[in-house]
Amino acid sequence: MTNNIQVTKKNPAYHLKNIQHYYGNTKVLDIDDLKIEKGSITGLIGPNGSGKSTLLKLLAFAQKPTRGQIFYKGRMELPFSTSIRSKISLLTQKPYLLKRTVFENIAYGLKIRNEKNNLEQRIKKALLNVGLDYQNFTKRFWHELSGGEAQRVAMAARLILKPEVLLLDEPIASVDIESAGLIRQASLNARKNWGTTLVIASHDLQWLYSICDHQLSIFKGNIFSTGVENIITGPFEKSDQKTLIKKLEDGQIITLNAPSQNACTAIIRKKNMVINLEKQSGNGHINQLSGHITSMLLEKKSETIMATISIHDLSLIVLLSPDQISGLDLYPGKKVILTFHSHDVEWI
Amino acid sequence: MDFIVAGFIKAIELLISCDSATWTAVWATIKVSTGSMLLSIGAGLPCGFLLGYFDFKGKKHLRTILDTMLALPTVFIGLAVYAFISRQGPLGELGLLFTLTGIAIGQTILAFPIVTAITATTIENIDHDLKLTLVSLGAGRRNIIATCLWEVRYGILAAAVTAYGRVLTEVGISMMVGGNIKYHTRTITTAIALETNKGLFADGIALGLVLIMIAFIVNLSLSFLRKQ
Repeated sequence: MTNNIQVTKKNPAYHLKNIQHYYGNTKVLDIDDLKIEKGSITGLIGPNGSGKSTLLKLLAFAQKPTRGQIFYKGRMELPFSTSIRSKISLLTQKPYLLKRTVFENIAYGLKIRNEKNNLEQRIKKALLNVGLDYQNFTKRFWHELSGGEAQRVAMAARLILKPEVLLLDEPIASVDIESAGLIRQASLNARKNWGTTLVIASHDLQWLYSICDHQLSIFKGNIFSTGVENIITGPFEKSDQKTLIKKLEDGQIITLNAPSQNACTAIIRKKNMVINLEKQSGNGHINQLSGHITSMLLEKKSETIMATISIHDLSLIVLLSPDQISGLDLYPGKKVILTFHSHDVEWI
Repeated sequence: MDFIVAGFIKAIELLISCDSATWTAVWATIKVSTGSMLLSIGAGLPCGFLLGYFDFKGKKHLRTILDTMLALPTVFIGLAVYAFISRQGPLGELGLLFTLTGIAIGQTILAFPIVTAITATTIENIDHDLKLTLVSLGAGRRNIIATCLWEVRYGILAAAVTAYGRVLTEVGISMMVGGNIKYHTRTITTAIALETNKGLFADGIALGLVLIMIAFIVNLSLSFLRKQ
């Protein structure tokens, strides 16, 4: 299936245009324009039910979006299309293993491609890639594996296919630290050896930031290409016609400019947040919230540090430069004042 | 109580002595049940797959009709088949009345909804992630269908065993369509009914034992296949 977009080397791996997807009457995805570059590793961050798995299914062409078009390398493709089904592989959150042995599970993809040469050696290598021993595992049946082992066998079954695109949905949700490291390494190797484009959804920010070139955050089906952003959910109270407030249980109040239309979730970009050590004098439109730093994460590409500030039961993120960290002597556990303007809010 | 014990002894004697009337009924039973099972599986398996795998308009109504057919009385099927294949019936010229083929047709009608309904339910219950997994491993439509069927092979086996049990033990169709003709269309179940009516309990028990043995061997073979 082709359309008028020319296939050139410059085309991204994916280009999603005006995508909307519904389950019944509920909109689960709303993406105006999204490009994913070839050979990139993209992290997908978002709470449960935000639309991560649906987006991965659309990217795997296993589902048709209700509206919009998905271009793969410049060509518009439809679900289950013959031309791409052998190029893209999706590892679901709860991987399904066929009711067969580990060997047969890993060999399945190769067999349907009629690639039966050197099967044993290739399976041995694929298992080794995910840290499983060929002798111990190859003859085991699907029901003789732990959750983590099943996850790694499923990963091996995809890696052996050397896919152009590998989509991983919570690949380390049920594995230990060592396995998470192996899956990370296997993903990086896939990109290095075969130029595989990876899109990985995970709740483990630290793991995700250690592997991804960039992150997309997704909330209620909306994509934020700047990675994790601060989400403040209601209930909000009306302070005046133009202002909403959220009262935290510890007595602190967040003041936000009211949305122009019906919306119930506030997004505050992390770039608009500032850390101070003491409260500054200011007007009522500036929020100054007292909290503690709970974690600090290095964002590889920008070499900035993403600090999470816990304000009672709310976790907010702020970007800091290494100079700010050393200048303010910041460390996890330190009490800080998080400052942001009430008009720096977007509503969805 | 004595006649039951005597029945068991007689049963063993009849089987060991290769009594021709007994073995003809056994052979007729095996022939018709095998024929009807092949036909009902051949038609029921793809129909069950289509019904379970795809969503289409009228699917619910079709399931209701199929579920109703599960409870069809064998005498009603016998009557309907009789009406069709009797001399005056639309298929009378085929000469199927009082033949093993006629019985097999009736038994196929009996087994078809069982195979179809259980296969459809088995397919409907397939893990949603299976299809997604197969697609993500590059499987085409044919591979997906074949692998889905293989994944639920035990469910399909259960459908076949259930249908076989019903076919093997039915009396109504064999009696009405076959006519219970000795050495010709007499099956084990019609023979048991006849012998019991005549007061020959031993013969009836002997044939009953054979019926149980056949059912046991079939289930044992399927259980062996399952382990493989």
